Amino acid sequence: MSYPPKLQQIIDLFEHLPEEEKRETLIAYADQAAAQAPREGETFSLEDVRKDEECTDTVGVFLSVDPDRKVRFRITLGPQVQTLTRAMTAILCKGFEGASIEEVMEVPADFVPKIVGAQLVRQRSQTVYYILTRMKSACKVWLNRERAAA
Amino acid sequence: MSPKDYAHPEALVSTEWVAAHLDEPSVRIVESNEDVLLYDTGHLPGAVHIDWRADLQDQTVRDYISPAEFAAVCSRNGIGPETTCIFYGDKSNWWACYALWVFRLFGHQNVKIMNGGRDKWVAEGRPLTREKPHYAPVDYPVPSVRRDAEIRAFYEDAKKHSDAQLPLIDVRSPGEFRGEITHMPEYPQEGVLRGGHVPGARSVPWKAAVNDDGTFKSREELEKIYTQGCGLAPHTDIVAYCRIGERSSHTWFVLTYLLGYDKVRNYDGSWTEWGNRVRAPIATGE
Repeated sequence: MSYPPKLQQIIDLFEHLPEEEKRETLIAYADQAAAQAPREGETFSLEDVRKDEECTDTVGVFLSVDPDRKVRFRITLGPQVQTLTRAMTAILCKGFEGASIEEVMEVPADFVPKIVGAQLVRQRSQTVYYILTRMKSACKVWLNRERAAA
Repeated sequence: MSPKDYAHPEALVSTEWVAAHLDEPSVRIVESNEDVLLYDTGHLPGAVHIDWRADLQDQTVRDYISPAEFAAVCSRNGIGPETTCIFYGDKSNWWACYALWVFRLFGHQNVKIMNGGRDKWVAEGRPLTREKPHYAPVDYPVPSVRRDAEIRAFYEDAKKHSDAQLPLIDVRSPGEFRGEITHMPEYPQEGVLRGGHVPGARSVPWKAAVNDDGTFKSREELEKIYTQGCGLAPHTDIVAYCRIGERSSHTWFVLTYLLGYDKVRNYDGSWTEWGNRVRAPIATGE
């Protein structure tokens, strides 16, 4: 299975990093999470802001799909969201830039340990998968609406 | 009510006290979190990081590290047998209490919790740094024993308590206790087959012991919950449990240090053991 090109680049970067640098790079991505929020004047095809029972804080997913079916995600995170989840938010927003909605739907979750490293994917850090699930969920809703409108 | 009214007031320090003792050589500030990268994003100046999983748990057996490994953890963090360890962390100090409890398993004497934990320190605008401290290794004698029998309960101990209707305190959320959910609110399912509680257990969520800012309630308030509310007494044989032992470490700290109960054990196998165990009976509902 291939990943969207920008996500593949990020995976390649992380796979070759030693553990300490991997942690530092994850922190750097986590610091960029706030910048993934919607910008003034942006409009979206779909907005999904909610606090799920299985996440520590509110997460907003904002999806826009252009006429070529390319996606752009913006994400808002509540302050209690874990650092790994914030890092994954920035990684996925960047990694999905230019990807088609179908490509996002088909991305397998097996890239997460490649980026995060097996040491950090463990009990109490499983919410690292949560953002991907929410992004795919937004894509699915968008596709269902498209089919219903056809 | 003054903090000195706690049974062991020396086990609790304020953020102000910590701020004034950051450079004290006999003190080591220890951060222990649920968020695995939180320490890396910034921590108290001079604080070391002790990871509940990587540093304190055996990596192949569901158990804690050996006494020799504990001595090595202390040594590399510049902690000697006389060092006063001040634990703090996220989640209202769940993992700080867990780390403190593990330190007590190995007999480390001088342990304290920073009241209110990391959130209070941050809310007060106190400094954080990303600079990781480096301390010269300290000689830490290998503890002769791990005090499992004194402050730790196993499945068999919890079963005996259940059968004999001795005090079992379930500190999880009410929904977990009733068996309506198999995970904590706000967490993913973490691998348990059945929902419910240990037969005979009483539901006293850990959160009952803290104020909105994560600081511990007064002794008077705690006594209303545990002494008057649950009928527990200073010499009662008590077993506390949750899912994997961290929230019950918090309650263990409250009962042991703030109320002075002298026979409290933490069942760290908790619901992830009991709820999955073949032939272990469960109860559901209230």
